[in-house]
Amino acid sequence: MRRRVAPYFLLGPGAAWLLLFFVVPLYYLFELSLNAGVFGSYHFDWHWANYSDALSLYDTQFERSFLYAGLATLFALLLAYPLAYTIAFKAGRWRNVMLFAVVAPFFTTYLIRTLAWETILSDQSPVVKVLDTLGLAPEGHVLATGGAVIAGLTYNFLPFMVLPIYASLERIDVRLIEAGKDLYASATQTFFRVTLPLSAPGVVAGTLLTFIPASGDYVNAQFLGSASNQMIGNVIQSLYLKQSDYPAAAALSFVLMAAILILVLIYIRFAGSEALMGEEAV
Amino acid sequence: MVSEKDPRRITALLAVLVAAGALALGLAACGGSSGGGINGGDTEAEEVKLEKKGSGEVTISNWPLYIDKQTVPDFEKATGLSVKYIEDVNSNEEFFAKMDPLLKQGESGGRSLFVVTDWMANKMHELGYLQNFDKSALPNFEKNLVSNLKEPSYDPNREFSAPWQSGMTGIIVRKDLAPEVKSICDLFDPKYKGKVEMLNELRDTVPLVMKCLGIDPSEADEADWMKAIDKIKEATESGQIRRFTGNDYGADLTSGNAVAVIGWSGDAVQLQADNPNIEWRMPTEGCILWSDNMVIPVGSPNPTAAEEWINYVYEPKNEAQIEAYVNYVSPVEGVKEILLKEEPEIAKNQLIFPSKSFTKNCTIQPSPSGEEEQNLNRAFNAVLNG
Repeated sequence: MRRRVAPYFLLGPGAAWLLLFFVVPLYYLFELSLNAGVFGSYHFDWHWANYSDALSLYDTQFERSFLYAGLATLFALLLAYPLAYTIAFKAGRWRNVMLFAVVAPFFTTYLIRTLAWETILSDQSPVVKVLDTLGLAPEGHVLATGGAVIAGLTYNFLPFMVLPIYASLERIDVRLIEAGKDLYASATQTFFRVTLPLSAPGVVAGTLLTFIPASGDYVNAQFLGSASNQMIGNVIQSLYLKQSDYPAAAALSFVLMAAILILVLIYIRFAGSEALMGEEAV
Repeated sequence: MVSEKDPRRITALLAVLVAAGALALGLAACGGSSGGGINGGDTEAEEVKLEKKGSGEVTISNWPLYIDKQTVPDFEKATGLSVKYIEDVNSNEEFFAKMDPLLKQGESGGRSLFVVTDWMANKMHELGYLQNFDKSALPNFEKNLVSNLKEPSYDPNREFSAPWQSGMTGIIVRKDLAPEVKSICDLFDPKYKGKVEMLNELRDTVPLVMKCLGIDPSEADEADWMKAIDKIKEATESGQIRRFTGNDYGADLTSGNAVAVIGWSGDAVQLQADNPNIEWRMPTEGCILWSDNMVIPVGSPNPTAAEEWINYVYEPKNEAQIEAYVNYVSPVEGVKEILLKEEPEIAKNQLIFPSKSFTKNCTIQPSPSGEEEQNLNRAFNAVLNG
């Protein structure tokens, strides 16, 4: 009896916290999303039209958000995996220094880090001059384009990709890799058949930790994008803070949440579960 | 024990659920209120109840960089009050979104007085969020308010709003990079494609573009506003307009990312002092004139002290000190005379003390309201968020 009660007891504080600061606000948000009327006279009315409006008015921004977030996640993965691999297996005594370097940007605030990109990518900067010469800046500028927003997202969420991948790589029993060698597998084969599957949980965690917040981000689009690069987060922010259209903003938040959930479930189903199973199979 | 379902997958799913929910909440965090309580319609504001003499603490909430360093300490010395001066108004809309749930319940979050632009003062008044002044404590305000600001359409007797500073919205250019930009219409010249920025403020940007279209903003109906919004939309889609900004156009002008922008006169004074290549251009079509106003909200603690503050800054000598720092247009009579002696450069600046002929084509900032406002807001924000 005692053994059964204890876990619930331990769950208590966390559960209460979630209930109070997550479930309750979520409920109010849901109620708000079904309000009708104009500002000053919003009232609850099962106004489902808020949802259809959210989808029909802002489908462009939804598509753009998931495209940008998806590309940023892909680029972050391509950058993070080799980096995490190097830190886990090749860094030697530099490992802690390199890990610190990955985390170091967090010592400055998110906003300042994003604003720094305004300077890096400003029209007169050497970076942009080089890109322009290479023909990679067709509009003559990099700031205020989708590319700048994706670059900013990739940069800002890179540590969230590196750390889980590093954690899963670091846990790998090197004897398994040695065993691969002993069984006459080439380095490439060992990597694809041993190392990569074993690190899959880290990759799945990293992509989720990058993709989910990146889809809802509005800071990068605001500072680095033009009016044609705004994401769904910018729309929600504008509805709440500029237009005082709370029901529409709440409905949009729910649609975003649902869309992310669906995308992520599909992802876990196809990539995730296999990856997680892969670890078991070994 | 072996469970049917892989517990790790369940954990992962839970994590995702929580993360997605937290995201929605994070975005929503500022909204809070679930509507309800209507105060609109009832425009009979209460008058502040004054004590003989203010004492204790007064909290003043204003826009950033809108006062010199010396005025607050001087006021404290002169009155014995202690002032908590906070710079937490960055945008009328966002400040409203933050304050609305409080004001609706008759509270001001500890603020005795705050500063908002004409149209927002009007909106808050209509919602019953502001108190009327007791003018008996405001002799300087009665005496020294400049005549052209005495009877604004939304507060013809200046019952609840006292201008803090006025200003103009027009064009700011890099004269080395865009020497020929003289009118709002010039901003649409393809020569400057991708180098033009406009303000993300409905009531600044759209009326100026109306002027380019030959529409008088003070007489414009919803269709006229929409015409101008359509023109802005076209220019956004073609890449003519680089982006929409708040005060951050200053950084873009300095770096050369933008060569011509719609901006505010006080910023222009500061920017051209820092960089001689930056220059204000009074649009040939004229500018937009506006004021930011001190108002006393409902639930204001210590309104007596708030009125003492208003009365204090309406003393020309005190206002001159603020004016020498701020660079917007002073609403107080007699300041120019003082500054002519002390800081003639400032007193002669057309952006700080504009002459009648300088502003002859300018229009007082129009402000749509009600359903029209909501429609225009929606259309304009659809352009901003492409």
